[in-house]
Amino acid sequence: MGQIGILNVGAGDTKLIFDKDRPEDCARAAKTISDMIKRGYAILIEAGKDAKGEMLYQRATGFREGTCEYIIAGDPVDLNQEEQNEQPGSSASSGKTGTQDRKARGPRSTRGAPRIIHASAVSGIAVGRIAGG
Amino acid sequence: MGGSPEAEAHGISLFNSLDGFAGLRRGLSRVAEQEQSWAGIPMPLEGHRLVIEPKFPRAKELSDLLISKEQRAREAATDKENEGYKVRNRFWSFHRNRWVMIYETPDGKIEWGLTKGTHPIARLIETLDCSFAWGIEQEARAVQTLGTLLRHHSFKAYMLTGMFMEKSKRSGLTYLFRRLRPTVVLDTSRDDIRVRCCLCLHPIGYYEDTWAGAMTPTDDVIAALMLMRGDEPMLWRTSNQHPSWVPEAGIF
Repeated sequence: MGQIGILNVGAGDTKLIFDKDRPEDCARAAKTISDMIKRGYAILIEAGKDAKGEMLYQRATGFREGTCEYIIAGDPVDLNQEEQNEQPGSSASSGKTGTQDRKARGPRSTRGAPRIIHASAVSGIAVGRIAGG
Repeated sequence: MGGSPEAEAHGISLFNSLDGFAGLRRGLSRVAEQEQSWAGIPMPLEGHRLVIEPKFPRAKELSDLLISKEQRAREAATDKENEGYKVRNRFWSFHRNRWVMIYETPDGKIEWGLTKGTHPIARLIETLDCSFAWGIEQEARAVQTLGTLLRHHSFKAYMLTGMFMEKSKRSGLTYLFRRLRPTVVLDTSRDDIRVRCCLCLHPIGYYEDTWAGAMTPTDDVIAALMLMRGDEPMLWRTSNQHPSWVPEAGIF
C-alpha cells in the first residue's frame, strides 16, 4: 500500500492512500495527484535505496492516472563517491566560470531514461508551490 | 497525539475550545476542500501581510486581507515615491549593519542610500505574533509526519533543539534544518566548515518580515528536507538565498 502525505495549511497533513484492493479510492487519489502535478506541486517519492539501505527520494515529473504510476526522470541519485558530488551554487565560490567549473565538479547529473513506479509501492510527500521566504 | 481515537478527539476539541482562531482555521479548511485547494488556504492575520506564491488562487486578495487602510495608503505612497527609480546594485555594510543600495534616479543620476535597519528582536516578536495562525493539531500532525522521515537521533535532536542536520547524497553539502529559521547550508568538504548561505522557503506563502510561514513550522521544515532529498536544484531555485551575516538568515 502506498501513500502520499500532503502538507496542508489548515487541516494538518492529509494523506492519500493507494491500496490495490480499493480501486475506487485509488482512482480518487490518482485524480488528486494528477491535479497536483498540473498545479505545480512537488511530489517527492521513494525511488530506491542506497548502498547503506537508506531511502532515496526523487521528484515525480508526471503521473499516469489510468494506471496509478509515477514518472520520474532517470535513476535516483546515489553518489556515494565524493568526487561525483555536484554542489549547487559552488561556481560563485570556486572562482571559476562556465564549462571550466562544471568540468572541475564532475558530471552534472545522472539523468537517464524516465522510470515508472507504481503508486501502491511507495510513500511520499506532496509540497505546494514555493513562495520563497 | 496518540492514544485511543476518543482520547485524540477529546484532546483536539480541548485545544480548539481554547484557540480563538480554530473556527476560522476550520472554515478556511472547508473552503479549501470544496475548491480542491490541496495545500489549504493561508490564514490572514491582522497587521501581517501575507506574501503568497503568485499563481495561488486569489493571491493578491488574500495578501491584502486584514491590512489596514493606513498601511495600504503608506505602501501605495512609497510605491509612488519609488516610481522611476532603478536599483543598480546593493551590498552589505558590516559597519552600519544595513544594505547599501545603489540606484538610478528618474533623471539618470546614480545615487546611494541605506535601507531601513531593524533590530533582530523586532523580527522575533513579529514571528511570535504569527503563531496565532497555526494550531497545535496541525503542528502535531506535521511532527508525526517528520518522525516517519528521520532517523531516531535526528528526530530527537529536532524535538529537543528545533534543528537537525543531514548531508545531501547528491551534493555532499550538509544542511542544518531549523524550525522557524532558514536552513543553513554548510560545506564540510574542506578542513574548516564554511557556511555557503541560508535558504529560506515556505510552501504557498509567508508573513512579510518574519520567519513565519503560512504552514505550521514543522511543515516548512518537512518541505525543505524533502526538496533537498528529492530535488536539490529545485530547493536552491525556489528558496531565497540569504548570506549568513544578514539578519534575515537568523544566525546572528
